[in-house]
Amino acid sequence: MNTREWALLAFTILGQTAAGLMIVLMIVRAYLAGKAGNEVADRLTNRPLFMVVPIMALALLASLFHLGSPLNIVRAVPNIASSWLSREVVLAVTFLVFAALYTYLQWRKAGGEGFRVVIGWITVIIAAVYIYAIGMVYMIVTQPSWNTLATPVTLIAGSLLIGVLGMAAGLAVGYAGLKGEEMKAISTALQGLALSAIVLLGIEFIVLPIYMGYLATQGGAALQSLTMMVGPYGAVFFFRLLVLFVGAGVLAAYLYRNASVAEKEKTLTTLAYSAFALALLGEVLGRFIFYATHYRIGI
Amino acid sequence: MAKQLAFYVDINKCSGCKACQVACKDKSSLPVGVRWRRVFQYEGGEWIDQSGQMIPSNVYAYSVSSACMHCAKPICMDVCPTSAISKRDDGIVLINADMCIGCRYCSWACPYGAPQFNEELSVMTKCDMCHDLVDMGERPACVEACPYRAMDFGALDELQAKHGTFADPAPLPDPSITEPAVVYTPNKVTKSSRNANGRLMNLEEL
Repeated sequence: MNTREWALLAFTILGQTAAGLMIVLMIVRAYLAGKAGNEVADRLTNRPLFMVVPIMALALLASLFHLGSPLNIVRAVPNIASSWLSREVVLAVTFLVFAALYTYLQWRKAGGEGFRVVIGWITVIIAAVYIYAIGMVYMIVTQPSWNTLATPVTLIAGSLLIGVLGMAAGLAVGYAGLKGEEMKAISTALQGLALSAIVLLGIEFIVLPIYMGYLATQGGAALQSLTMMVGPYGAVFFFRLLVLFVGAGVLAAYLYRNASVAEKEKTLTTLAYSAFALALLGEVLGRFIFYATHYRIGI
Repeated sequence: MAKQLAFYVDINKCSGCKACQVACKDKSSLPVGVRWRRVFQYEGGEWIDQSGQMIPSNVYAYSVSSACMHCAKPICMDVCPTSAISKRDDGIVLINADMCIGCRYCSWACPYGAPQFNEELSVMTKCDMCHDLVDMGERPACVEACPYRAMDFGALDELQAKHGTFADPAPLPDPSITEPAVVYTPNKVTKSSRNANGRLMNLEEL
């Protein structure tokens, strides 16, 4: 991997982090609003919300370093009619604009509660389509290790996993000093997030062996990719699985257990942040292997 | 619509001398590392050791000269995010350097390795079928340079009427992916993408 490919890795990871966080955030916000009211929901979810726009802006900045002639992007006519890469870029920019609008409205308490919620959910829909588009970029018929259902499924699961644990970290920080209904709502939300992380980890661990088995039966360039994954990149490959298991499995389980225990704010924060960091690292390692082991068919 | 233009190569006549590749580099002033036309040496078979004596078993070797195939279904054009790649009426697929952002997505997609990044220009470049010469009624530099007269150029249907429709010599990929505008005459050992059992040789030259 060279600078250009690392730029691509940063673009996809940061982009899916922002989009995954936005999706999970709105779901958690809706739950908290139902349990403890809008005022509490806003207070608890605004901190992670303020992370979305900077992360997405960084993602787009990173994407420019992938290009040979970034200035031409101004002159470029997007080919959204047939190119998923074009769609990905258009969706990324649209997502940033809507996320910025929603963040502004939440920050200024502008536009009324109902309007803000509508904008928030529109942003979520754009985020979801954007994540799907990131996966579809790699569904190229001449790239057998990419051109499988495992690519969008793993990407969606990975994005939600980062979003879920990122949201857990954001909530855990706001946990201190809460009482009664508020405390109950946030601890149930944390438990739900921890459980979701374990389920998403399960999906990734089910898809992976099926995917590898598929590559093994395809021969040619697909088999070449598989050989690289378990051969030269085998150490990274198994380290990634370990990191994901500890982060989204073990730490998430501890998070679930401690979420309902009072006076555990510090432990919760540490657990949630560690789980988030490990899930993020797992996704980075996964993407690294994804880019490092693809082989195009032909010459 | 004008007729789809195409390259023709007779594998029987090709010695793998790479004169076409050199003529291409010269005509289009390509920098080191960029090879719009490449000649692939493909070999297979084995030598069996029979009590100290080496017996050849199905040993074969041949060369395949290949460039952009100016495909009927150009996958590069479909995936390009900026519409920098277009197909002319006569079928020639071109990259507009002013619109290219150098993202290299086309090089991930093209199974012929035709789009190549030019570090000096910071954009993708590929075989343009010498369209400047073609527009003046001349033939591409590679075709003119071949000392064995193994290459030809013209309307795809005319080349197919003359030489058949074979477009599938290994190590080239399955032509059904992009429907390349090309015709090859195989020699007696030429494999197709379906029964390719050999390997590319002298990779440092590619």
